[in-house]
Parts: sequence; structure tokens; C-alpha cells
Amino acid sequence: MMKDMRIRLSLFLAVMGPGVVTAFADNDAGGIATYAAAGATYGYDLLFTLLISTVCLAIAQEISARTGAVTGRGLSDLIRESFGVKWTFFAMIVLLIANIGTTASEFSGIATSFEMFGIHKLIAVPIMAFVVWWSVLKGNYSKIEKVFFVLCATFLSYIISGTIVNPPWEEVLLASVTPTFHSDADFLMMAIGLIGTTITPWGQFYVQAAVVDKGITAKDYKYTFWDVMLGAFFTWLIAFFVVVATAATLNANHIEIETVKDAAVALEPLAGKYASMLFSFGLLGASMLAAFILPLSSAYAVCESFGFESGVSKKPKEAPVFFGVYTVIILLGAAIALWPGISLTAVMLASQVVNGVLLPPILIFMVLIASNESIMGKYKNSRWYNIVSWAFTIVLIILTLMLLVATVAPDFMNSFMKLIGL
Amino acid sequence: MNQVKVLGEFYFSRLLGTSIYDKSGRNIGKIRDMAVRWEGTYPKIVGIKYAKKTQQLIPIDQIESCSYKEVRLKETFAIEKTTALHENDIYISRWLLDKQIIDLKGSKLVRVNDITLSWVVQENIERMVLVAVDIGIRGLFRRLGLEFLVSSWQNNLLSLQYIKPLESWNSYLQLNRERQQVSELHPADIADLLEEMDYKTRAGFIEKLNDQQAVDALIEMDLDSQVEIIEQMDEQRASDLLEEMPPDEAADILVEMTAEKSEGLLNLMEVDDAEEVRELMQYEEGTAGALMTTEYIAFSEDLTPEEVINQLRELAPEAETIYYLYVVDEAEHLQGVLSLRELIVASPKATLRQLMHTKLRKVHPEEDHKRVAEIINKYGLLAVPVVDEQGIILGIVTVDDIIDILIPERGKLDTYSWFALSKWGGR
Repeated sequence: MMKDMRIRLSLFLAVMGPGVVTAFADNDAGGIATYAAAGATYGYDLLFTLLISTVCLAIAQEISARTGAVTGRGLSDLIRESFGVKWTFFAMIVLLIANIGTTASEFSGIATSFEMFGIHKLIAVPIMAFVVWWSVLKGNYSKIEKVFFVLCATFLSYIISGTIVNPPWEEVLLASVTPTFHSDADFLMMAIGLIGTTITPWGQFYVQAAVVDKGITAKDYKYTFWDVMLGAFFTWLIAFFVVVATAATLNANHIEIETVKDAAVALEPLAGKYASMLFSFGLLGASMLAAFILPLSSAYAVCESFGFESGVSKKPKEAPVFFGVYTVIILLGAAIALWPGISLTAVMLASQVVNGVLLPPILIFMVLIASNESIMGKYKNSRWYNIVSWAFTIVLIILTLMLLVATVAPDFMNSFMKLIGL
Repeated sequence: MNQVKVLGEFYFSRLLGTSIYDKSGRNIGKIRDMAVRWEGTYPKIVGIKYAKKTQQLIPIDQIESCSYKEVRLKETFAIEKTTALHENDIYISRWLLDKQIIDLKGSKLVRVNDITLSWVVQENIERMVLVAVDIGIRGLFRRLGLEFLVSSWQNNLLSLQYIKPLESWNSYLQLNRERQQVSELHPADIADLLEEMDYKTRAGFIEKLNDQQAVDALIEMDLDSQVEIIEQMDEQRASDLLEEMPPDEAADILVEMTAEKSEGLLNLMEVDDAEEVRELMQYEEGTAGALMTTEYIAFSEDLTPEEVINQLRELAPEAETIYYLYVVDEAEHLQGVLSLRELIVASPKATLRQLMHTKLRKVHPEEDHKRVAEIINKYGLLAVPVVDEQGIILGIVTVDDIIDILIPERGKLDTYSWFALSKWGGR
């Protein structure tokens, strides 16, 4: 019996990873910025949205991971085989736009963390962009990556900080399960941003690729399932405490969050005057980690679907498209973050909204593939699962449309809301 | 009279969706797909699928004219004039277009962007055949309807004789011919292909290789891929392959697995082979013991060169290296060494005891691989023997084994990373 347990545990550890790693990379610069802004602006109001989007994250990641384990193929590969060149092209455009936006937000995060130490972004961003680009080109980024992964762990300090501030727990828990909704464009944008930062198009491609890369098969999938669930839980845990900590410190004192740096204030109960230092280390770690992953996973996805040579082990001459896509994404991402007069915080928040808006098409592809019996066999989505996935996709599309309307014609939105009694 | 007249050449992607009219001008449907029969030099199209929910096909000889705008039939359409899909026929849009295939010429995986068809008349028989697959960028742009942007570019066409589908569509495909084509590839190329495949395709592919081919390919891979492939394989086949592998490689692979799994595989192997592997598995990673192979050649000191050469003919195929011949006493104590060259030029009547060098470099199994490398480098050796405390020879470490461990392959970097995605991609 004991031996049996040990074998199970060791198997779990062996396949553990993709879900948890994706979860950590998910709480990147844009993520922290969005959670902090949500807490500071709307207090505990968005905790319910967060809970729902975490449940949806678990479902979405589960679908991707299962598809990866059953087919042994990446998402873009399957999109190409099931839907042909045109749809693949569409999916790749969607993915690239979302990923360029997210990369820009990572470089903004890098810039912000350096600014806290008094280093100007014109110096920090080009240097860090070069570090990312060069170390992948030279193939020695795996060690560097681990350093930043460890730095990310500093975000766990939000959990301690959120506990120290001792928020009104009853109110917090109530807010977590009570649907709260405002119809103004700002709130919608924040809600979509919150969903867009938890569930990302790239995260879906990435988790599936990571499952395939680890050689996980349908047989071992039950362990990966728990890995994915654990990952979703971690995403929620950190996000929840960032929202709670910022709500209790900033929102309670009516301090508007103007820049991401203000989110460090929420760490003061724990770290005192070192709060901003702690925060900027975490921000740097998460941003750099994602800055490595995003351009790479985009390049893999594009090459995989169109049949170009790919792989960090290849030379640029052997895989020109792979390194081309990769380089262009870094360049564009850094350029957006350096654009004269642009607000770094705005870049971070906007990129999360872009991710949220572009998520539905990717979700639709995913769900269609996962419910296709000729691809998934007996592992295809159950009917109940499909209902939930479609419902979520449709809700997200409606939210996106509402955001569009609320941005273009706020008055119309208000009267419409009154009409249906909200 | 064996003249072939070409009536037209087409890109399959552009034919898809073309409207079909019969003689009376009635719209029958659209080209939804085409069924192909894989026989002869060129696979031939047997018919056109003209509606979504039917398995009936319009035979090719019914076609009066064919262009990207419209297809006209010779007669008035009637369901009786169609043929049913034969079980050996496959739909090319479903099974070939957009799929990965093996490019035997470049020995890599490529994706089918388009397919070229040729419509010909030979001896009054009209037929349409698959000529090549398009794996180039121009094909991609054509699919997007943007071919005019790259009209100056060359098409990258791959003739059908150079491709091998990844999934066998059905048993009708000539497996033997495929097997022969694949066996002409270098094991290192087969290894690269295998690493790029998803695990299901890979399983199907390995099944078609014979044990020797599979082992040769496996040896060319890095350890992580070896472990992955062996773990995913059917246990019986896996144990067969492990038996065939050099015991040191087999031990390296098994050490990486869970105790339960490796024990299961060892139990399926022949007792002798399993025993050898088990012994090697005891040594810690990175030591001489873990690196060594037990497939060395040792002779008794009383033998003459003539006798040795005769025995060598039998032993050589198994051994990892035959350039060094080790000399041992009855209890396997290492006494000396001589080279193949020395053996060949020696007088046939001498004994090994007289010929051998007794001053020889040896290492203990627990010694670090760096130390082994130093010895091999310093004395310019091809292999160094590993002996235990009593001086009994356990195995040899060859220079190849050392190079493998000292120079990490660049390709391995992918798998070292927590986050990097390798190959997939394929790839």
C-alpha cells in the first residue's frame, strides 16, 4: 500500500510541470497590474469574476492539456489539419497580435521594475530585449530562465501581505461568491482584462505544447489533470490575494492606482519600506520569464502550422522563419513599450483586454477539436463539458461586444442596461 | 501506341469547391473531395465526391471538361452513373492535404500545402493522377488566395515517389516498398524523423522498422528521447530492442525510468542480457562504471595470434571495439593488452603472454568521467579498461562514450529547459 502510494507520488512529480509552470507565467506583469487595478478601483467587486474566470481557466487548460496528451500534437498543428490553411492563418494572426501585445506588456513590466531602481526605460528595455534575444539564439537561456522563475516566487508575498492587512474576511468571502456587475465601459474593460489575463491565447498553445514536449500520453494523463488543476488554483490564489491586498490598502483609503508601481503599496504591511523593492523583483522575474516564453511559443506555433523548420537547436539559417518571427515579436514588443509618451501601465492593461477580446476564436478552435471523435477518440469532451465551454465562450463574446458598444456609445449602453433592469 | 496526351494540370486546392454541371446544364454539386486509389507508379483518382453527405463518387471518365471555374459532365447526371467508395480508396483532402508526410529525399517531415493533379488520356482511357505534393511557400499563398504576390517564386514540389505518408491509410498501401524506402535512410535521419513525430505516429512508424533499424535509430538519439520512446512502446517490443542494444546504452535508459517499469522490462529480457544490464545499472551516473560497456574482447594469455584471429571473426560483430584485445588469466584478472595491428603482424606461433603490453592504464568503476577522459586524452587511447579491486576486468570505456558525455549536443538544450518547447514541430 505504501509502495503503491510512493509510485503514484513519483509519477505525479514526473509529469508535474506544464500546468503549474503555465500558471506562474500567467501571473505576469500585465496580470499583476490588472489584479492590482481591479482591487484598487473596484474593491472586492471583481472577486466573483475572478473566481469564475479561474474555473474557466481550469477548464480551458484541461482541454488543451488533454488534447496534447491524447494526440501528441500542438494546437496549431491540429488547427491546420482540421481546418485548413485559411483558418490557420486567421488563428495565427490572432495569436500573433495577442502575443505582440503581451510581449509589449512584459517589456513594460521590465521597464517599470527598473524604473523603481532609477534606471530609465531607454536603457533597461533595449538591454533586456537583447539579453532575451541573444540567449535564445545562443541556446543557453535555460539557466537564466530558472533565475527569473525563482524571482516570480516573490509574488507569493502577496499572500502574506493580504493576510497581515486582515481584511474584513466576511465581506471578502461574500463578494467572492456574489455576482457583481456594473455596466460602464471601465468596469467591462476591467472584467474582460481580468479574464484576458487569466486565460490567454498563448497559455492555451503553451500548455498543450509543454504536455507534448514532456512526452505525456493519454495513459499518464490523470496526473497531468491534477497538475493543471493545481496550476489553476495557484493562479487564483495569487490573483485573489493581490486583489484583496490592494482593495484593503488602496481602495479602502480611496487611493486611485495610477501606475503599476502603486501596487507595491499593497506589500507595505509585510515589507515596510522594502515593499517596492520586493515588488520590482517579482515584476522583473515574471516579466522576463514571459518575455522568454512568448516570442518562443509564438514562433513554434507559426512554424508548426505552416511546416517551417523550427527549434532553438537550429541555426538561424536553417530555420529563418522561426528566428524571424521570434525576433520580430521581441522588436515590436520592445518598440511599443518604448514608444514616446506611452504609459507603461496603459500598455499592460490594454494588452490584457486585447487578449480577452481575442480569446474566443482560439477557444472555439480548441473546443471543436476536443469534441471531435476522430481526433480525440474516447477522450473527447463530454456533453456537459461542451455546454460549459460553449457557455463560457458565448459569455466572453457578449462581454466583448458590450465593451465595444460601451466604448463607442456609452449613453446607449446605459439606457440599454436600464431597459433590461440592471 | 502508348502515347499520353495531357488534358490538363491542376492544383487540387483550387479545384476544391468548383461547381459541377451535367450535360443538361444542371448544377449537380461541388467538388468536395476526391477519392484516390494508391496503386501503380502514380496514385489515380477514382472519383469526385460531389455532395457533403454522400459516399457516391462521379467517375473521372464522366468528365467532359474541367477548369477552376466549372466541371462539365459528358452525360445527364443520374445517381446510377456514380460509383461507391471502395474500401481501399482514400479521400485526399481528408487524409493528405495539410497533413505531415515524410520527405524521403530531404529525410525530414514536411507539410502538404497543395497537391498537383494531371488529367491525361492514354490509349483512349482518361484518367486523373496525383503527380506531386506542394510543400512550398507558394502553395501556402495559393491556399490563401494570394498566389499573385509570390508568382515569381518557384513551386516546391515533391514527387510522390519521394514521399511516405505518416499514417498508413489502409493495408492496401504497399508496406514492403515503404519499408525498403525507409531502410535506405541513414539511422541518424530516422532518429531525427522519430523525434519530430507525435507519439502515435511514432509508434506506428517504429512498428514498421525491424529490430536492427529501430536499435540503430535509437542509438543515434539523446537519452531523453530514448527514454520517452521506450516508455511509450509496447513492453514486449521494448524489451526486444533493449536486448539488441549495447548493454551500457540499455542501462542508461532503464536507470531513467521508475523502478517498477524498468524491472518489468528487465524481466521480459533474456536472462543473460538482463543480468549484464542490471550490473551496469548499479553504478552511479557519470562514473566509469556507468559509462562502460561489457562488450569488450578478452583472450586467455596462452592463445596464439592465429587462434585469436580465428576467434575474432566470431566475436567481432558483438564487440564495441576490436582494436584493443585484452588479455586475462583464468580468473579474468586483466594481464595486458595488445592492438589489432600488433596481433596481425605478430608471428603466428607466439603466445599472447609474450606479445602483450603489461603496463597498461586502467580505471576503477567509481572513478569520475572527467578522470577517464583525462586518461584517454593523455595517453591517446581509443578505450580504457575498467577493473575492480582484485584487478578483474569489468568492461571498457570507449572514446565515443566519453565524447558523448563531454560534448552535450546542442539539440539537447531544448529538453534541459523547463519552459522551452522543443521540436514539435515538430517539431
